[in-house]
Amino acid sequence: MNYLIRGKVALVLKIVIVSLISAVLLMLAQSAFAQREYVIAAYLAITVLLLALTYLTKISIPLKFFIPGILLLTAFVIGPILYTVAMSGFNYKTGNIISKQEAIDLIQLQGTEASPDGLAFDLKLGKSGSEPAILVSDITNLKYFVSTERNRIEINPADVTLNDYGVAITAPNFVTLNDSELGGADKVYSKLRFKYDGDYFVALEGLETGIVSRQVLEYQAANDQFVNLIDGTLYKDNGRGNYSSENDESAILEPGWRAPIWFENYIEIFTDPQVREPLVRVFIWTVAFALLTVLTTFALGLLLALALNKPIRGRRVYRSILILPYAMPSVMSILIWGGMFNTEFGAINTLFGTDIAWFSDPNFARAAVILVNLWLGFPYFYLISSGSLQAIPSELQEAAAIDGANPRQIFRKITLPLLLQILSPLLIASFAFNFNNFNLIYLLTGGGPRNDLDGEIAGATDILISYTYKIAFGSSTQDLGLASAISLIIFILIASISLYSLKKSKVLESFA
Amino acid sequence: MKNWLTQNLWRHVIGVSICLFSLFPLYLVVISSFSSTGSLQLTSFIPSEISFSNYKLLFNDPTIPYLTWVKNSLIIAGAVAVLSVGIGSASAFAFSRLQFKGRKQGIQLLLLVQMFPAILAISAVYVIMERVYKFAPEIGLGTQPGLLLIYLGGAMGVNIWLLKGFVDSIPTELDEAAKIDGASAVQTFWLIFVPLASPVLAVVALLSFIGTFNEFILARLFLVDMESRTVAVGLQQFIGGQYSENWGPFAAGSILASIPIVIIFLSLQKYIVSGLTAGSVKG
Repeated sequence: MNYLIRGKVALVLKIVIVSLISAVLLMLAQSAFAQREYVIAAYLAITVLLLALTYLTKISIPLKFFIPGILLLTAFVIGPILYTVAMSGFNYKTGNIISKQEAIDLIQLQGTEASPDGLAFDLKLGKSGSEPAILVSDITNLKYFVSTERNRIEINPADVTLNDYGVAITAPNFVTLNDSELGGADKVYSKLRFKYDGDYFVALEGLETGIVSRQVLEYQAANDQFVNLIDGTLYKDNGRGNYSSENDESAILEPGWRAPIWFENYIEIFTDPQVREPLVRVFIWTVAFALLTVLTTFALGLLLALALNKPIRGRRVYRSILILPYAMPSVMSILIWGGMFNTEFGAINTLFGTDIAWFSDPNFARAAVILVNLWLGFPYFYLISSGSLQAIPSELQEAAAIDGANPRQIFRKITLPLLLQILSPLLIASFAFNFNNFNLIYLLTGGGPRNDLDGEIAGATDILISYTYKIAFGSSTQDLGLASAISLIIFILIASISLYSLKKSKVLESFA
Repeated sequence: MKNWLTQNLWRHVIGVSICLFSLFPLYLVVISSFSSTGSLQLTSFIPSEISFSNYKLLFNDPTIPYLTWVKNSLIIAGAVAVLSVGIGSASAFAFSRLQFKGRKQGIQLLLLVQMFPAILAISAVYVIMERVYKFAPEIGLGTQPGLLLIYLGGAMGVNIWLLKGFVDSIPTELDEAAKIDGASAVQTFWLIFVPLASPVLAVVALLSFIGTFNEFILARLFLVDMESRTVAVGLQQFIGGQYSENWGPFAAGSILASIPIVIIFLSLQKYIVSGLTAGSVKG
C-alpha cells in the first residue's frame, strides 16, 4: 500500500486532503466568528494556517508528526486547563454566571412591578404595519386595543373577531403572527414593552398573556448604576459582580455577573473556616484512602503472587479467575458492589447475617470503599508482583538459604526490599491514581454519608476530587470559581508528588 | 504426604479463598440476571428458577435501546482507540527518534499536563462545547462526535507517554539503516516503524478501548438523548433512581457488555500486563 502511493499521486492526494480539511475548518471558523466566538474562530483559523504550512511546505519535519496531537491537546486539555486557571480568579458561581452586560439587561427586564390592581390580559402577537404589536383583549370589560412600543389604539368591539374563549384574534390594521412565525418571535416579543397607560406597560408572560407593569429599576449608563425610580435608592457596582445599595452593602440586585476577584478564591480556601475545615477533613481522608488502598491491594496481590509462585496444580485456573475483577468494566463492578452493600436487601448483610447500614455510618462507609477498591485493585498488583518475583535472581535467595536463613528471613531481608525497589514507581503511580479515583467514590457512595442538616456538602467518603466536583456542579449552589481554585491546588499537590517520585526513580534523566 | 501439606496446602487455601472473594460479586450478578425479581438479593446460592425475562427485556422493549447503546459504546471506544493510537504514535515516534529544539521541554510539558486531574477541567470543557454547539451543532455539546473529540484530546497525554516508552525500547539500527538508504523521517515512520511496532500499537489501542468503554462521567454529562447513550450510562439508569432499583436488566446488560471485554483481556493478558508495567494504571 505504502509503495503504491508515491511521487506525484501522493503529492496530489496530500494537497486534496489538506485542502478538504482546511475548507471544513475554515467554514467552521467563519460561523464561529459570526457567533462572536472569537477565541474559537482564531483557534480554527490558526489550525488551517498550521496545517497548510506544515504539510505543504518543508518548514519542519517534526511538526508533521506533532500537529494532530498538538491541536487536540491544545483544544481539549491545555485550553480547558487555562480556562480553569482563569475561572479561579473570578467570582463565578450560582447568581454570578453571566456577563455584566447580560446581567444589566436582565436586571432591567426583571426590575418591574405589577400594577397595584394586578391587571392581566389575554393577547395575540402580531404586527401593526412593520412594528411588533399585540392585540389585547379585556374579556371582563369587553374592551380591545392594539399596542405597539410607542402607542395604544382602542379598537371598537364591533371590529374584532373573537375565538371561543372571547379573545380577539383579528382587528383592523393588525396582522396576527402565524404558527411558524410564533416559534421565533418569542425571543423578540418577550423583551418588548407595549404601551398601556402612563408609566405602565404590558409585558408578555408566555405567548398568550400579558401583565400590566411599570419599571422600577432603571440603568444609568453614565454612572454605571441602577436607580430605584420609586424610592430613589442607588445601586452601584460593588466590584465583586453585583450592584449593591449605597446604604446597605448586603442589599444586592439579582442576577450578578462573573467579576474578576483575583486571588480571593484562594484566600477563601485558607481563611474561611467554612471552606477550610471540610477541605482539611476531606484531604486527610483522601490521603488515608489512597495509602490504605495501595497498602491493601499491594499486600493481597503480593500474598497471592508468593502463594502461586510455584508451579502448583491449577495455577492457570487460579490466575484466570483472579484477573476477572480487573477485566470486568469497572463502572459496572462498582455499581454492583453498591447494590451488595444495601442494608435491607444487600448480599453482604445476608451473607454474614448482619444488619449494618453500610452507607449511613461514616466508618462503615469508609470500610466499604476500601474493601471495594481492594477487590478492584488487587489483581493488578498480583500480576505485576508475580512478574517481578520472577525477575529477582534466584541466586540471592539460594545463597541466603545456604547461609542458614529461614524462608521468613529471606522474604523480609531480600525479596521484599528488592521487590519494593522494582515496584516503587508503580506504587506511587497507584497512589496518584487513587488520590483522584473519582469513579469509585462517585458511583459507590456519592461521597456520603453526609450531614445534610448543617448544609455541609462534604461527605465522610468524599475525596478531594469528588468534593470539588460537588462544589462545581452540586445541586443547590455551584461555585465554579472556588472549585477551579481548589482544582489548581490539587494539581500542584499531585504534580509535586509525581515529579518528586519521578526524579527519584530517575525517569527524568532519560530526557537529557 | 506431609511434605505436600506444608509445601502446597497453604498455597491452595489462599488461592481458593481469594478466588471466592473475586468470584462472589460476579456470581451474584449472574444469578440476578436470570432471576425475575429485579433485585440483587442473595436468597440462596443455587437459584430456584432460571428466567430469561431480563435478557428479553433488553432486546424486545422499544424504550430500552440496549443494542444501540452497545453499538454506541463500541463505535466511540473503537474510534478513540484507533485514532488516538494513530495520532499518538506519530508524536511518540517524533519524541523518541527525531532531534529538534524544545524536545525536552515538550516531554516535560506533556508530563505536567497529564497530572491535571481531568475531571476538574470538565466545567471548562463543558463551557467550550456549549459554545461550539452555537455555531456547529453537529460537533458541540450532546453529540457523539463532540464526545469523541474530547476523549481523543484526553487520551493524547497518556498514549503519547506510553507509546514513547515502547518506541524507546525498539532498537534504532533499522531506522538508521533506512536513513542511510535515503529514507525521509516520514518514510521511516510508515515503512519501518509502523510495521515493527504494530503489536505494541494494538495493545495500547486495546487499553485505550477499555478505558473509553469504562468512561462514565463525561458520557453521562454529554449524551442526553436516550438513543445516543453509551452502554454504561444507559444501564446505570436502571439502578440510578433512588426508589426504582431494577437490578435484573442491569445485571443482564452488564454481563453481555462485559463478556467481550473480559475475553479480550484474558486472551491478551500477557501483553496487557507488559503495557501496564510500562507506566500506566488502568482507570
